[in-house]
Amino acid sequence: MPHPLEELRDAALREISDARDVRALEAARVKYLGRSGSISAWGEQMKTLGKDEKPIVGKLLNEVRSALTAAIEERTQAFRAQKEAGALANIDISLPGSTGPTGYSGYSGHSAASVGYSGYLPLERGSLHPLTQMLDRSIDIFRRMGFALADGPDVEDEWHCFDALNTPPEHPARNEQDTFYLPDGRLLRTHTSTVQIRAMQAAPPPMRVIAPGAAYRRDEVDAMHSAQFHQIEGLYVDETVSVGDLKGTLELFMRELFGPDTEVQFRPHYFPFTEPSLEIYVKSKALKRGEQWIEVAGCGMVHPAVFEAVNKARGDHAYDPEKWTGFAFGLGMDRLAMILFDIPDIRLFAQNDLRFLRQFA
Amino acid sequence: MKFSVNWLREFVDLPKNVDEIAELLTRAGVETENIETRGTKIDKVIVAQITASSRHPNADRLTVCEVDDASGTKRQIVCGATNYKVGDKVPLALPGAKLPNGLEIKKNTLRGVESEGMLCSAKELGFGEDASGLLILSPEAKVGASIADLFPSDTVLDVEITPNRGDLLSHFGLAREVAALTGKKIKAPAALAKIDIKRSGVKISALRDCPFFSARKIDNVKVGPSPAWLRAKIESVGIRSINNIVDISNFVMFEFGQPTHAFDADKLKGGINVRLARDGEKFLALDGKTYSLAPENLVIADDKRAVGIGGVMGGEETGVTESTRNVLLESAYFLPASIRRTARNLNLPSDASYRFERGVDPGMILRASQRATELIREIAGGNPAKEIAAAGKLPANHSDVSLSYQKCDQVLGLAIKPKTVDEILARFGLTKAKTAKTRSTWKIPSYRRDLQRDVDLIEEVVRVHGVDKISGTDRSRFTQSSAADHSRDLESSLRNRLVAHGLSEVRTPKLIPRSAIALGENAISLRNPLSEDHVALRPTLLAGLLGVLNRNVRASVERVAIFELGRIFVPPTGKEERHLGLLLWGNATSAPHWRLREKHQLEFFDLKGAIESLMIPALSFRRGEDVDLALATEILSWNRAIGFAGQLSAQRRSTISAPGAVFFAELEVDPILSGDETTKTFREIEKFPAVTRDIAMIVPEKLSHAEILRLIESVNEPLLESVQLFDLFSGSESSLGPARKSLAYRLTYRDRSRTLTSEEVTAAHAKIRERLQRELGAELRE
Repeated sequence: MPHPLEELRDAALREISDARDVRALEAARVKYLGRSGSISAWGEQMKTLGKDEKPIVGKLLNEVRSALTAAIEERTQAFRAQKEAGALANIDISLPGSTGPTGYSGYSGHSAASVGYSGYLPLERGSLHPLTQMLDRSIDIFRRMGFALADGPDVEDEWHCFDALNTPPEHPARNEQDTFYLPDGRLLRTHTSTVQIRAMQAAPPPMRVIAPGAAYRRDEVDAMHSAQFHQIEGLYVDETVSVGDLKGTLELFMRELFGPDTEVQFRPHYFPFTEPSLEIYVKSKALKRGEQWIEVAGCGMVHPAVFEAVNKARGDHAYDPEKWTGFAFGLGMDRLAMILFDIPDIRLFAQNDLRFLRQFA
Repeated sequence: MKFSVNWLREFVDLPKNVDEIAELLTRAGVETENIETRGTKIDKVIVAQITASSRHPNADRLTVCEVDDASGTKRQIVCGATNYKVGDKVPLALPGAKLPNGLEIKKNTLRGVESEGMLCSAKELGFGEDASGLLILSPEAKVGASIADLFPSDTVLDVEITPNRGDLLSHFGLAREVAALTGKKIKAPAALAKIDIKRSGVKISALRDCPFFSARKIDNVKVGPSPAWLRAKIESVGIRSINNIVDISNFVMFEFGQPTHAFDADKLKGGINVRLARDGEKFLALDGKTYSLAPENLVIADDKRAVGIGGVMGGEETGVTESTRNVLLESAYFLPASIRRTARNLNLPSDASYRFERGVDPGMILRASQRATELIREIAGGNPAKEIAAAGKLPANHSDVSLSYQKCDQVLGLAIKPKTVDEILARFGLTKAKTAKTRSTWKIPSYRRDLQRDVDLIEEVVRVHGVDKISGTDRSRFTQSSAADHSRDLESSLRNRLVAHGLSEVRTPKLIPRSAIALGENAISLRNPLSEDHVALRPTLLAGLLGVLNRNVRASVERVAIFELGRIFVPPTGKEERHLGLLLWGNATSAPHWRLREKHQLEFFDLKGAIESLMIPALSFRRGEDVDLALATEILSWNRAIGFAGQLSAQRRSTISAPGAVFFAELEVDPILSGDETTKTFREIEKFPAVTRDIAMIVPEKLSHAEILRLIESVNEPLLESVQLFDLFSGSESSLGPARKSLAYRLTYRDRSRTLTSEEVTAAHAKIRERLQRELGAELRE
């Protein structure tokens, strides 16, 4: 037969678990555990018990008290969680998010409330120009292949732009018509190949550099041509550099840029400063322009006459064409960006319409 | 250059499929840019003879023709052209014919008169651009014959010939290349018959510019229209027919690549002298323009005057016309550089100068003269003189070129058998002069002046052998980073910070328009601008960024927050500096947002915040002066001015369409980049708690935040860690009274080695409060 305390415990537990809210739970707590509650009354009763019964009932009383306390605590936690969940349930998580710190003080000179607001406010997403993104991607690829950067000025002299690049005066490829000149006779470089010369003047071989930069052409502006365009020039001079090395480097570049399934084709061409000279075409299903070969770059083996011009300027024989060979390439960043991002008109780059720029955010 | 496939086939067997020819050339570096089909097989267009013509009864501009089409019955055709006469033979499109322009011919009634077909112009048949009237056919054309037989269909390839390959600027030349690439035989023209050369009648006074000159007299020619085949040939490559003599000269140029020129011999006074022009010598050229020459220009002259600009263009006065009876045929070699200089300086490029400046084949000069002579005799009658008058010497043979087989393999990265190398070079007409085990020496044919070094031969080998056979190899190499690497990385981090700050990067042209220089900047102008849009090098980024603002305001955006990082050109030297420009205009957000109750306008402190986000070392600002700015602020790093920021002046703003304030900053980037590394070092994290105390005060409006900070700093309280402004208000509507403002600062106190007592902090704080009160007259609030 259960002890009356056990009966009291069971009744109390039932009442606790049936409590529908915090108030009912509190009423149950007071009823049983409160100062004048039934359990507390048993504590008073203890004093009247005999020596034999006292320890047994005392133990039982302690057990009952902690069981009820635990049950009440558990119910309290449950009610708290329920309440929190209820409050959060009202939050519409489909509302637009604030994507970061605003960076704007919001200070208006009058409204003190907004000053020092350090929370998160709606953030405008900034964006890098698509040409910058194209340059960044390209530079990252070449850096993985061990190219360092080189730099040269936009305003150049004729020697760096033409003569040193095996395009002497009256050479049919020396197209002054298409070159912008400054009043003092200097010019705006028509290609970044000028940096090849500057890099070799500055240091002996081996040489492994890329040079991103602007170049200029005095040409009618249309969807495919602009007065200013952007290139990455590349130069690698070492012992026994071959067309195979050139192909390996640029094939990897194109596949890194346009995807692993990109087909790359090299076709013979002519540039005064390389021999043999090649043009690079790519074809990739990943591109919108799909199945047709697209011309993307010019390249070739550095012409011995270029080494000779550099040696003459250096006053030494560091770039001995019998000892060193090299490859060079020029990639049109505008063109690559147009292909990769499917941009139809080169003029969009210079217009800087935010509706255009933000597409690349 | 345009090439007729039919013409090429006269010299070499070509694949049937034209696309295959184009692909073959393109893969060998001779790029075919366009393929055009001409004279497509048009059915039901025949030769008809006009037998009668009368005015249309109901239309002034139409005529009614009766034509004979060899069917036995005459046809009635209504026609709008007026260039014909009764008896002319013309193309007749019969009902059912479909013309290249898509027009389908039907029997129909034009203004009440029945028309059983249509008489056609050249354009309507796709033979050329001439739409001015009917295509008048040769009197020999057979009535009833199909036009398709008279004008066989042809394909015209537009081929890009690179500047090094002048030898490909003729049908024979390109055919020779195809033969070499495919290993087929070239059908060479007949060998040069023996001609007697006489060393009189012509003289060269400028041997450097004109090493060799020849002239042949041909008497009693009959100048007239060219036969149909000749016309068709030159028209197929885009040359207009003039008369038989001129057409022959052009034909020979497109056949063999050697330009020749025919003079009206009776208009020449005395002998020919090839000399440099006199300074200011006037010359009336065939294009009808008068050129003022200089001593760098080479002229062909008679005893009296210049009759041609050597290698560029003949003279109007001595040109061949209908009345010419005797001609003098010139064929010469000119120094490429001299021709290029003249053609460029006179801005007078011609088909002849284009070839001479790329170097013609010395072996072809007399052959071309002979070919033209024969054609003139055949087509225009005439008796050629037995001898050719000539002066000078043909240029010497090109130097032999020696090629090491091992070098060939090394450059290509592919082992090719010496035998294969030899075979390929032999195909291009090279012959072995000397052979050793490891290298051979090659004689270069007269038409390949571009083959000068071993690498030139290696290129020929790879063109035929195929670049595809070379597999790409991995040539990675460790490379130390350079100064350019370093500055690019720092540049990138600046860009990324501004993007994270919500700004969009723009890239504006470094060449600025005339309208932008007119704003009063001292930019370096170009000597030869092409359009008003690109006339000078930008001296600052302002003009470009304002242009972007303008464009976007017109596109109704609500927020423009942009930056550009790029080169500018400092006048007058053009020194290149990297600058960073920032421009803010409009609302803080480009669209309303549910968490922002009010619209916030972008303002000066947003610009300042963007600059602060750049983490410029020891950054500070102070009031300055700038012509473009109403609120001008100098930006300093380590107390050195590196740029300015502020609000655009009203005058500047008047040039743009944006309403409201425009905030702009421009600063030099190099001092920032050359500054400290971005590498930071660890400092022990604070172990002991900080205590904060606030100060609220009312001060005169004029007292600056910087002055308050400076004062607090001057107290030199060692426990004070930081000071933060957290509240500010002012304005007449507040209870502060005029010209006063309320500021609230939070001061943080800490000792890094122990916990502070409340008394210590109170004492330190009181010291600062007292100083603020005493020295700045601040009214402290509780």
